[in-house]
Amino acid sequence: MNFDPSYALEFDFGRGQVRMANAGERLVVPSDALLALCQGASEDAVRDFGRRLGTEAGRAMLGRLGEAWQAPLETVVEHLGGELALMGLGSLGLERWGQALVLSFSYSPLGQGGDLLLGSVLEGAMQRAFGRDVVAVKLMREGDQVRFLVAGFDGARKASDWLYQGVPWGDVLTRLTNSRGQS
Amino acid sequence: MSQEVARLEELLARVQRNAALPRSVALPPTAFAAPAPTFAVPPPAPVQAAPPPPAPSEPYFEPPPPPAFTTDALEEHFFDSVPAPALLDQSVDDMLLADPFPSQMPAPPAAQAYTDMLDEDPVPLVRSAAHRLDDAEDISGVMTVSQFSEQVPEELLEDDIVEVSVSVDSVAPAGNELDDDLNFGDDEISEESARTSDEPPASSSRHKVAGTMDEALARAAEQIDFDEGREVPLKTPPPESGPQEAMPLPMGIHAPLAPDIEELLEADILPAGGVYAAVPTTEQVGQTIDLEEARGPHLELDSALSHPAPLHAELPHEELEVTLPRREFGGGYQDDLMPPPEARQELDAHRNRYGDDAPPPESLAQYPSQQPEASPQAFAPVIVPANVSNDPYTQNAPMVTVDAPSNAAFAPELLARPDINPGPVAKFIRVESPRPSTFLQLLDASLDLGRN
Repeated sequence: MNFDPSYALEFDFGRGQVRMANAGERLVVPSDALLALCQGASEDAVRDFGRRLGTEAGRAMLGRLGEAWQAPLETVVEHLGGELALMGLGSLGLERWGQALVLSFSYSPLGQGGDLLLGSVLEGAMQRAFGRDVVAVKLMREGDQVRFLVAGFDGARKASDWLYQGVPWGDVLTRLTNSRGQS
Repeated sequence: MSQEVARLEELLARVQRNAALPRSVALPPTAFAAPAPTFAVPPPAPVQAAPPPPAPSEPYFEPPPPPAFTTDALEEHFFDSVPAPALLDQSVDDMLLADPFPSQMPAPPAAQAYTDMLDEDPVPLVRSAAHRLDDAEDISGVMTVSQFSEQVPEELLEDDIVEVSVSVDSVAPAGNELDDDLNFGDDEISEESARTSDEPPASSSRHKVAGTMDEALARAAEQIDFDEGREVPLKTPPPESGPQEAMPLPMGIHAPLAPDIEELLEADILPAGGVYAAVPTTEQVGQTIDLEEARGPHLELDSALSHPAPLHAELPHEELEVTLPRREFGGGYQDDLMPPPEARQELDAHRNRYGDDAPPPESLAQYPSQQPEASPQAFAPVIVPANVSNDPYTQNAPMVTVDAPSNAAFAPELLARPDINPGPVAKFIRVESPRPSTFLQLLDASLDLGRN
């Protein structure tokens, strides 16, 4: 089942509203204004705001896919990425490094200042769509692409420590894989 | 100026008045008596005065023995050697332009002994103009020490120069004291001065030295009158400062136009006869500037450098240096290439080994004169198509076998690697990583990473 964005957005000029299909009203706001708001807010507020956006995207994906736990990788990327694209957050990508799940955003209008918000969106989407509490750890940003490691709390803490120590993100993924094998 | 005129007139009157008095007056001692005051006549020296012995400790100031003065000689000396009006006769410009160091010193006047000089009271110095001055002598007040002695220094140094700067006022009293003792009768001075005062001044600012006292006095009086009649502005107008507006020129008069620089440059560069003129034009010759010869050590350029020798003769050759073949020898060999001595020895040994029937050695730089003829039964090249076996067992290691020609006298010996049954040389192990079928599996596996 492919993602069909037709009639995903409804512009009601009489009421002056923008609605998404199977969802509530939306606001079309400038991205720099939203970014300025996120930069002025606290980290917890930004995370909470992002998770709410991700929850909305996961809910919309579930409404399209039905049973998401049986969906293959491509289908999840297609539909979840479609919902996030309708929000204008960028293009979603998926990378599998061994057993590590890495999700990426490309061409996000928020730029580097919106990385925390994007990670929070992924956390909310995973929690709403698959019922898992995950932590999105920012691995790196290269140009318009930013990569997030989707890991548990323990793995996210180790990865964050290694990244803070200056370990390359590739080595971080390798260490995570080896640590799982040793354990 | 008027005071000087009055003084001169008084002096003249006194001289005329004292001319009739007896002249046996003792000469007052004067230190460095040679220069006399400007307008004062020095007193006469005592007649037949014995010269005092010279001071042995001061040979430099040792004066010559004074001559035996007589009245006539003294009179002639003072009246002829004191051209007092010369100071007034010459203008200031002539004084400044005159040679300060004349080549001929004036004749030293009568001097006294050095011991007498020490005993006498100091006498104020006098101007140098009181000496006998010729046309080339300066009256700027600079005197040399040699004037006080007969010893003329070989070179005039700065130490020899003594500047005498005494005003007229300081000299005048000494002269006035002496005026009373002298009386020279000369009644024609006033008439002569009155006659010459009416004559127009000479065009030349430099006059001749007066020959007599009367003429000198007359010229002095004339110069004084001339200076008094000149109108000198009381105050010089201050110069204008800053830019001033130029006055408009009248009609028909205009400032010269600025020359065209391009035309001037072109005229300087291009000859008159055109670009290809071989001879420089007169304008160019006229602007030629002869440069001075360079100062410093004399340098000579070696003329041999103008004809450099060939490069190969100049460059030193090393043992390992080899001249690369030129372009015409590219891809071939140099014709005159000789074998090295080692190769020649080997060649001689080879010749001795195979006897005298071997062909004579030839230079490798030449084509062999005797070309070996191809014999169809001996070393003729045989082109045999190679047979490639298609044996499936030897597919991975094809062997090329060449059939020896039947007519060859010496068949080549071929050695081939023995056949080895093909087997696995390397083993590659590919590990199939399990790919999660669903997104949820991958998510769970990723969540397990780093779990304690």
